Amino acid sequence: MNKSSFHILRISLAITFIWIGVLILKNPESWGGYLEPWAVDFLPVSVTQALLGTAILDILIGILFLIDWLTWFAGFMASLHIIVVLTVSGITDITVRDIGLLTAALVVMIEDLPIYMKSFFKK
Amino acid sequence: MTSDALIFTLSAIGISETVYLIKKRLLLQKPICPIGENCLAVLESKYNKIFIIQNDVLGLLFYIACSLITVFLVIGIDPLSIFNNIIKILIIGGSGISVFFTYLQWRVIKAWCFWCLMSASTIWLMGIILLVRGLIK
Repeated sequence: MNKSSFHILRISLAITFIWIGVLILKNPESWGGYLEPWAVDFLPVSVTQALLGTAILDILIGILFLIDWLTWFAGFMASLHIIVVLTVSGITDITVRDIGLLTAALVVMIEDLPIYMKSFFKK
Repeated sequence: MTSDALIFTLSAIGISETVYLIKKRLLLQKPICPIGENCLAVLESKYNKIFIIQNDVLGLLFYIACSLITVFLVIGIDPLSIFNNIIKILIIGGSGISVFFTYLQWRVIKAWCFWCLMSASTIWLMGIILLVRGLIK
């Protein structure tokens, strides 16, 4: 992947993750509506607390993407996070957008994997 | 809200750009110069700091302050009116300093630095957004 393309993708993901985190912090209750009822039953904490945690995770992932530090780890966490979001929110009109974000996060993770990990997977 | 999102986006771009420049400086590496060849002439000139603080560090602090204040405004953390005034002062001040640095590149150093011009454009865009928001309100 071209180095410039990688950085454009990284910064775009950073902005998306931090901004979503900020929007969730602003009004966590309204984001609770995206959760499937079965997922709410599984939560060990209240929906608001779970969403506040999600917001902080989103912002932390975004900051790692933004400062280009442990970017592969941020990509890994972002991918895992989006898989969980896809699972607990079900298939909706905006699922396709999450799939786009998931692919972008996976691309950034794979591109930034440390050499020892890349060589491990090539074995 | 839309203008806040745009200002935040531009601040985030500024943060990533200044972090890149600081990393390169600390690692004693040459930054990539996509347009022109004189980035180093500008970045290593005697104008690369204000008092004792490097311009890239000042830029990073500026962008972090802008993004944090925008976040406070969006979430609705009080005192909103003070934060609103601070962001205006920051962006107007930043735009003025960017005009000065662009003049330095043009007339004094006589070399163009891609990253400095990008940072200046980012701050001017933030200023335009602020201006348009003021006109619409």
